[in-house]
Amino acid sequence: MSWIVRGLRGGILTTHYPHGPEEMPAQWRGVAKALAGARAQEYQLGAAACLSGAIVAQADEAHVLQERCFQCGACARVAPRAFGMSNDYELALVGADPSTTQDRLARRAASLGRSIMIRHVDAGSDFATDQEVQALFNPFYDINRLGIFLTATPRHADLLVVTGVVTHHMVESLKRTYAAMPDPKIVVAVGTAAASGSFYAADDVYGPVDRVVPVDVKVPGGPPAPLSILHALWVALGRTAARARETEA
Amino acid sequence: MTERPRLTASEAAQRAGAAVAQGDGRFVALFADTDAAGDQLRYIVAAGGRLALISGVVEGPTPSLDRAAARWHEIAVSEQSGFQIAGLPQSPSPITPSDAEAYRSVGSPELSTVLYGPVRSGISEAVRWIIETAGEDFVAVHASFGFKNRGLERRFVGVPLESACLVAEEVSSATAASHASAFARAGEDACGIEAPVRAAAIRAILVEFERIHQHLDVLGKLADDASLSVGSAQTFAAKERVHRLLAEAVGNRFARGVITVGGARFDAFAGLSESCGRSLDALEREVCGVVDELFATPSWIDRLVATGRLSGEIVRAYGGVGPVARGSGVDNDARGLDGWLFTPQEGDAALATDGDALARARVRRAEIRSSFRLIRNALDAAPAGPHWVSFPTGGRGEGVARVESPQGELVYYVRFGAGIERVAIRSASFQNWPLFVPSLAGWIFTDFSFIEHSFGLIVAETDR
Repeated sequence: MSWIVRGLRGGILTTHYPHGPEEMPAQWRGVAKALAGARAQEYQLGAAACLSGAIVAQADEAHVLQERCFQCGACARVAPRAFGMSNDYELALVGADPSTTQDRLARRAASLGRSIMIRHVDAGSDFATDQEVQALFNPFYDINRLGIFLTATPRHADLLVVTGVVTHHMVESLKRTYAAMPDPKIVVAVGTAAASGSFYAADDVYGPVDRVVPVDVKVPGGPPAPLSILHALWVALGRTAARARETEA
Repeated sequence: MTERPRLTASEAAQRAGAAVAQGDGRFVALFADTDAAGDQLRYIVAAGGRLALISGVVEGPTPSLDRAAARWHEIAVSEQSGFQIAGLPQSPSPITPSDAEAYRSVGSPELSTVLYGPVRSGISEAVRWIIETAGEDFVAVHASFGFKNRGLERRFVGVPLESACLVAEEVSSATAASHASAFARAGEDACGIEAPVRAAAIRAILVEFERIHQHLDVLGKLADDASLSVGSAQTFAAKERVHRLLAEAVGNRFARGVITVGGARFDAFAGLSESCGRSLDALEREVCGVVDELFATPSWIDRLVATGRLSGEIVRAYGGVGPVARGSGVDNDARGLDGWLFTPQEGDAALATDGDALARARVRRAEIRSSFRLIRNALDAAPAGPHWVSFPTGGRGEGVARVESPQGELVYYVRFGAGIERVAIRSASFQNWPLFVPSLAGWIFTDFSFIEHSFGLIVAETDR
């Protein structure tokens, strides 16, 4: 009985997002962004401070490989005139052309019918990323309201959420989970480690998720906030457009 | 650190064994290292409230300490470095059922083996349990770790000291402040510097917030295990509020990117004190209110009482730490030792003696309360001054430090010469996992998740 009273007294906590906007606190570090007009030296300083190689510095400009940024803010601290941290949480990345990708993802999601079943695989996570996926089910985000549910078996899963860089020992499990899912299937790589391998040494891990299974949407973050993950799921279901991904090429 | 006399690994093992056998002596860690003097084994033992490092050069097989507390360490050393440990059991399993207190040995042909993991239902970390069962009960359980081995200890090598805390945070981002603090303090120990008081306050506040959100994570999962969906939702909502406060104060929901060797990357104290001034009272009311409500829910208590019981003797034998140890009456809270500035006061000691899942939950409840008090103490101290001191570059040295993470004592070893050359991590989870199997003795499948969650351990920091 007292749980009910407590629940009622607390009022409605749940966000309207993705149907309405949300705000992050002013301090919140999104991903790094290069600022125009700094000196070459400053761009190089920022690039040198980046542990995950997210910054490509050229003569008088730099660009940020967003899928490699894990939000530490080191670049903005050592070279504040060359780099800043964005304040946004809509960080999901898709293939080269976001609008055609959205069409494709929307058609795929439509063929799934109404509700979406998610399967989670920890491929070698830092544990915080798993907790942020779990947080989607707390009353603040409550993704069940959007018709998204967790399922215990890959046979029932429409969407695979993978956290962590893929370790050598998890390659086979990840492949088999993906293979066990019925078509059509959607894959979201959650967190910088899953999206790009972050700063992990190439010899010690297998690599990012897309080295093992095809990935539709990546969301960087160390760890990504629940709102960022929610945005990524919404992109994966073709309900909203993602930003274009800057590639290493 | 002072120059140590050169020992052989066998002599080091002997000294470590003698130190552990004395009064309050406790085995802490063992790892392999190769420096200019050659292949070494390094033992860390705790005695008289301090950590001691005992190193020895490997010359042929080194005798096993023959202690439950050291077994996983010895297996890891012999598997990973190839150095022979004499007298290790042949079985590769980190723990065999015969170690468990009251394990029944059933030689029935009707036993079946269940491979549980590494991919499991719900949102859980990758680990495999090999369960032999005749139906419902656990006849034998073997742990299989290493699925999440990410080579993070090696990743430190060559990373500039000022960036290295970012690697430590990745070991277990859920307890990022504990890992960053432990690494930073070990690095400072090696450099012979001390972080300013203001930085110590920042670290203490972040570690205590971490204790609150991780203990809430454990309690929320335990509520979910008991199908207490409203209780679980409310507990996870309280956890969310802690993350929001941290995001507002320091820019990251798990307080990553704040702590560094020499202090803090930026003066987070101002942000913390402002956010806490605005919402700490309300947060404490909400968090403690939800937790009190859980403990006033008889159906939840019934599920935890007597479940997964561990005696104080077995906890001591396995060198258990953290809430798992304190639930069985074994107190070794690192915050009271080693110059951690903001330590629990008398009366804060969260101890329970029943050793069951309920006792471990009670310890967490008490620690949540004392964490709020410690945060206030650190805020009230309002230490002025710098938040960072520079460290000498190009120095050589080694250092050891520990921090009481939410899971218990977390120890880092750092050695540098031309940059960082070796980092070894002994996490609370690594030390406590071997206790999980004995705690299953006599219980059945439906109790598994209660016992597992009552331990509240992290696979990420075990596998590294």
